[in-house]
Amino acid sequence: MTPGQGVMILIGMLLLYLAIKKNFEPLLLVPIGFGGVLANIPGAGLAEGNGILHIFYTVGIESGAFPLIIFMGVGAMTDFGPLLANPKTLFLGAAAQFGIFATLMGAVVLAHFGIFDFSLADAAAIGIIGGADGPTSIYVASKLAPDLLGAIAVASYSYMALVPLIQPPIMRALTTESERKIKMVQQRHVSQREKIVFPLVLLILVAFLLPDAAPLLGMFCFGNLMKECAVVDRLSNTTQNSLINTVTIFLGLAVGSKLSADKFLDLQTLGILVLGMAAFAIGTASGVIMAKILNKLIKEPINPLIGSAGVSAVPMAARVSNKLGLESDPHNFLLMHAMGPNVAGVIGSAVAAGILINYVGT
Amino acid sequence: MTTSNLMTEGLNLMLIGMGFVFIFLTLLVFVTSIMSRIITSYEKNVGVLPEEGISSPTAVISPAMNQSQHANDDKNLITVLSAAVHKFRSRHK
Repeated sequence: MTPGQGVMILIGMLLLYLAIKKNFEPLLLVPIGFGGVLANIPGAGLAEGNGILHIFYTVGIESGAFPLIIFMGVGAMTDFGPLLANPKTLFLGAAAQFGIFATLMGAVVLAHFGIFDFSLADAAAIGIIGGADGPTSIYVASKLAPDLLGAIAVASYSYMALVPLIQPPIMRALTTESERKIKMVQQRHVSQREKIVFPLVLLILVAFLLPDAAPLLGMFCFGNLMKECAVVDRLSNTTQNSLINTVTIFLGLAVGSKLSADKFLDLQTLGILVLGMAAFAIGTASGVIMAKILNKLIKEPINPLIGSAGVSAVPMAARVSNKLGLESDPHNFLLMHAMGPNVAGVIGSAVAAGILINYVGT
Repeated sequence: MTTSNLMTEGLNLMLIGMGFVFIFLTLLVFVTSIMSRIITSYEKNVGVLPEEGISSPTAVISPAMNQSQHANDDKNLITVLSAAVHKFRSRHK
């Protein structure tokens, strides 16, 4: 056993510990951690050649299939009701994507000063961590920087688990007590017909404006339509339960196979972890700031706390907004209001992913 | 790619990316609002869809299930009726 493999097995164990003991995104980190351990067993070669983990990787991630299937499941679990009730929250989802591009710039600057050796494609793949969306990160990384995929996926899922720790200090720092107490107007009722038509409208917009986001958003819209149209409940149930669970197992193991010593034990990984954290923080901040700007521009009051939910990380980020709102005013429930920017963030990061792939990939 | 070139590319991508995300989502805000308005006015005339969706055309309701449903209904009905009869009799002794 090389020392590198030993260290990687320990890192795999650490991920398992975080998942099992600390409950950090266990659904993903258990398979990833275990995959990481398996991949580093000396002489077994599970992560190379005809090794089973390598086969999972080739079939599912290199082809882009697993993240897309997961995205379809996420679509089938998403309720666009809060977003349709208040479409302006889409702006919050857009603003929070600034984290992606600011981090990309950060990675490019680090490369410029020769601290890390990142190419533009690497920088783009690192930036997408700020989208706070696991499948999107993996999809973009597999297209633009397959070498960094292990580190990017681990960073992305670990920080999603850390959302309740990363976001609150930033949100408190950027808002005043009276802003946190803002009560939002009760949401209007959204009819079933609107919910059915919305994924189709979104799909048409994507088809015309950004075909590169069509794989991600297309699967997302498909999943959502299956749920909302209510005539294919069996398909919708499979998509949001058994199918997404099955794929998650293989996705996790395949990501774990990328935790090999020569790729992961590198200064670049450290850079990715730091930049990923920055991406989350900047995304949160820009979402909150955008909410404050919107508050000045439109009549309906918007509690700036829901801005942070624009970084996707459904539904964790929305819960954080709700929790902070309750701290300031125990009668102010922001959860449903925060779900709007939250799902807007999913759309926003998928759009950003499409742009990155379009710009860097060609 | 030289590093200064990389910087320009990065800056370019940031501006294009952020700009496009905003344009796309702004457009989506408008289109969604228009869609909601059209559907709301349409539903004023025809009524809303039932919340649980249209009854599924692909589902085959097995006759056995149907019968047990009926049997269940009858049972309920009998319970209710006998309770009423009982009450009526006990009052009019």
